[in-house]
Amino acid sequence: MTVSRRQFNVLLGASTATVTLGLPNIARAAAPRVVVIGGGSGGATAARYIAKGSKGAIDVTLIEPSKQYYTCFFSNLYLGGLRDYASIGHGYDKLASNYGVNVIHEWASGVDRDKREVILGSGARVPYDKLIVAPGIDFKYDSVPGYSAAASGKMPHAWKSGTQVQLLKAQVEAMREGGTFVMVPPPNPFRCPPGPYERISMIAHILKQKNPTAKIIVLDPKEKFSKQALFMEGWENHYPGMVEWIPTSISGGVKNVNVESMEIEADLDTFKADAASVVPAQKAGAIAAAAGLTNDTGWCPIKPETMQSAMDDNVYVLGDASIAAAMPKSGFSANSQAKVCANAVRGALTGSKVFPARFANTCWSTIAPGDGVKVGARYKPGEGKIAPTEKFISQTGESAEVRMETYEESFGWYDGITADIFG
Amino acid sequence: MNVSDRCAVSIFGVAILTAASGHPARAADVEYGEYLSSECVTCHRTDGTVTKIPDITGWDTKSFIAVLRAYKTRERRNKVMQTITSGLSDEDMEALASYFASIKRARAK
Repeated sequence: MTVSRRQFNVLLGASTATVTLGLPNIARAAAPRVVVIGGGSGGATAARYIAKGSKGAIDVTLIEPSKQYYTCFFSNLYLGGLRDYASIGHGYDKLASNYGVNVIHEWASGVDRDKREVILGSGARVPYDKLIVAPGIDFKYDSVPGYSAAASGKMPHAWKSGTQVQLLKAQVEAMREGGTFVMVPPPNPFRCPPGPYERISMIAHILKQKNPTAKIIVLDPKEKFSKQALFMEGWENHYPGMVEWIPTSISGGVKNVNVESMEIEADLDTFKADAASVVPAQKAGAIAAAAGLTNDTGWCPIKPETMQSAMDDNVYVLGDASIAAAMPKSGFSANSQAKVCANAVRGALTGSKVFPARFANTCWSTIAPGDGVKVGARYKPGEGKIAPTEKFISQTGESAEVRMETYEESFGWYDGITADIFG
Repeated sequence: MNVSDRCAVSIFGVAILTAASGHPARAADVEYGEYLSSECVTCHRTDGTVTKIPDITGWDTKSFIAVLRAYKTRERRNKVMQTITSGLSDEDMEALASYFASIKRARAK
């Protein structure tokens, strides 16, 4: 029996004793309950900030199937050999021991919003007063003809961190001499807008050392991408002649992928890959749709002042799953949104002071060791959506000194944000 | 809640705390500063861990505010800090300075 199981049983015991759902919080025997679905950047940050700020006045439960969470951010640096795999893994021990968060390592399979209960894969129910949904992304596999969950073993998407990223690294490193790596990035909107292009950079870095006559073909469903001028300049500087980026207006789009023959067919040509990464179109993590929190886009509309779901005031949606308008789907954004949400949830449940929402994001990308670039902005609630107030982006032609500072800053940020998320 | 509402809440908080503790302004500022600081601690560690991003705890409050202003006026060049400080008023900077000064004191005990 695990600690979390014991804690879960205690929690269920408390819930059966407490049947005064219609009464104000003050009349209840137990503390108000917050349940968080998803232990990534948004969910774990929200759980930690609510538990820390309320000092035991709110009972916080985090539902996350993985015992060890591998961050998507910096997984490209693992691909490039700049970080080892263990260094991007984080556990939940400190959330439990230092902040009193109940951590349940199970899948959430549904939400009964009328009864205010989360239904677990085991069938058990976890009651809540406020629910925070931070499930990240799921894939629309059929957005790329011929691709599927099964096909991801041969052409990994590696767009959720973990074993897929390890698989991709092994396949790239096993490529024949002078072979071809094909990358199919996703269409907008998707998790981590500069991510596919940082991945290309880090794979180019590995190939330059181990397989310098290899080629990288990028079949992009888009006509432009995040930090495009910076990446294009960097590829020419560090990996001349290795990377060929082909927008859909030239390729005609990917018509089929065949994981047996490792062929990727476009109007322009059929490309034979020695290794490939195909990242399909995306949508909110499945629990968001099961809970009725998504709209026609497959993502979750929110109220920008609090990150409350537009569908239900007792539910908040954070991170990639939310429609945060101008804020990109990033770990930094989710962490920022979680703090606004935590402040609002504490205010609603305990009457603590609620301050105006303020959001920020920065996305660092590594083009080569010592060559870092960044893009970022501040945001605040606008007319029904989150709107930017101030933006910046690294410039082409910056000095090596500035790029080294940015590169080193990104490592400092990784240490900072993972301590902020996991305690 | 808009900014003027928040100011009203702050002033009310000060009045209550004056009666209770005799050190009103600092207590009220630190509470607001703690909320604002959640933006800073995405990158800056507060537990003494050394990274390439500086430790900002325990600074003299005047120095702390002077550095933030230098980013806001773009005398200092880091773009992340220029962007973050673009959203900070004088009151916000004072609240942050008080909050981060208080952390070192707590750790030193």
